[in-house]
Amino acid sequence: MSDSTPADALAELAACRDEIEVIDREIISLLARRLTLGKRTGDLKRVAGLPILDPTREAAVIRRVTTVAREVGLPSEPVREVFWQIIGMSRQIQQAARSDRTEGGSRSE
Amino acid sequence: MIIITRPNVTDAEIDHIRERIESVGMRTHLSRGEHRTIIGCIGDESLLEELPLRSLPGVESVTPVLKPYKLASREFAAERTVVRVGGRDAHAAFGGKAITVIAGPCSVENREMLVQTANAVRKAGATMLRGGAFKPRTSPYAFQGLGSDALRLLAEVRSETGLPVVTEVMDARQIDLIAEHADMLQVGARNMQNFSLLAELGRVRRPVLLKRGLSATIKELLMAAEYIMANGNHDVVLCERGIRTYETATRNTLDVAAIPVLKRESHLPVIVDPSHAGGDASLVAPLAFASIAAGADGLIVEVHPDPECALSDGDQSLAPTAFEQLMQQLGAFVTAAGRTMSGASQEALAVA
Repeated sequence: MSDSTPADALAELAACRDEIEVIDREIISLLARRLTLGKRTGDLKRVAGLPILDPTREAAVIRRVTTVAREVGLPSEPVREVFWQIIGMSRQIQQAARSDRTEGGSRSE
Repeated sequence: MIIITRPNVTDAEIDHIRERIESVGMRTHLSRGEHRTIIGCIGDESLLEELPLRSLPGVESVTPVLKPYKLASREFAAERTVVRVGGRDAHAAFGGKAITVIAGPCSVENREMLVQTANAVRKAGATMLRGGAFKPRTSPYAFQGLGSDALRLLAEVRSETGLPVVTEVMDARQIDLIAEHADMLQVGARNMQNFSLLAELGRVRRPVLLKRGLSATIKELLMAAEYIMANGNHDVVLCERGIRTYETATRNTLDVAAIPVLKRESHLPVIVDPSHAGGDASLVAPLAFASIAAGADGLIVEVHPDPECALSDGDQSLAPTAFEQLMQQLGAFVTAAGRTMSGASQEALAVA
């Protein structure tokens, strides 16, 4: 880095930012995939007669991402926070899907 | 409930303890200190009854937290919290050994007065600038502040002086706008129990200065802090600013005892607003001295270049010369309390 000129640095900065933008898009599409699967598990839990809230499973997910984060050298506390947020989103989607179904059901009765 | 771990606890043991707690639907908060690590449990404690917490590997002791505030309680943190404000260009900290003084006008009236005040308070040793943009006044006919124009002025003066800025947020809708311009967001006394505002501030990545309500108990103040923390923002500085009593000779009664009580009950930094507490410029210095003696981590003082002409709170604002004198006299109390003045303040005092 010490050899590069300010112009080189600016060019590389722009390239980094482009790459960040691409990665952000990937993160969002992965998130969308994860939430779609979350919704599917919600449907399956309903059919199987299981509650939406499954704290044991959530705790296991959090523990797993904590371990993975540590393995790749990321600070584990912020990663845990991010995943609690994702779990929260997933739970909301499952709950919304279930209440839509209940409302629809009551209307048809 | 808090779990104190053994000194040689491993990451895997901590992960396992947290997984067991979270698997019953509670959440955990980890606080690592130099000598011990604490796992705080948040949620319905009756859920923990079935868990053999004491026998889990790595656990040294399990203690119930009987207070209604958890994240704000002293027990939850291995060490006292230091709240850092601002970035590399302008910064301050609350809760360390150093005393931090915030000073500035009650409300931003125009650019000239703000620049004049900022330069004067910085020279005198303040390391942070205050200034109201949106003013909640008792009367709807009183001056309500310059709003977003004031925010822009504060941001400009911040970059000119290197003083980080704190300003009040009155409404959740203003949070984003204010967070864009200010380093720290203040919750005024009248909004201390505005729980929707507190919850929104929990989602912001900006430290919060939480002022005690006029009639709020210490427990209520800590519960207000808990609201912000429970929503994710742990950078809260508590501010004692006087409470309403039967005494009419002063605007409010400074609850000096609240300072050591808050510091005993909580790991959060505590500062004092001697200007609002007394409501009279002549009381600012004695109340400031008492606050430092009682263990406060900082002060927030109203300073106006011409208090007689101030659009709000002129009676309790100090002129720059009076503020400079206060800062000089404060030094002896700071030393007696075993504290230091924060970095920039010390330089200013050395020059003076």
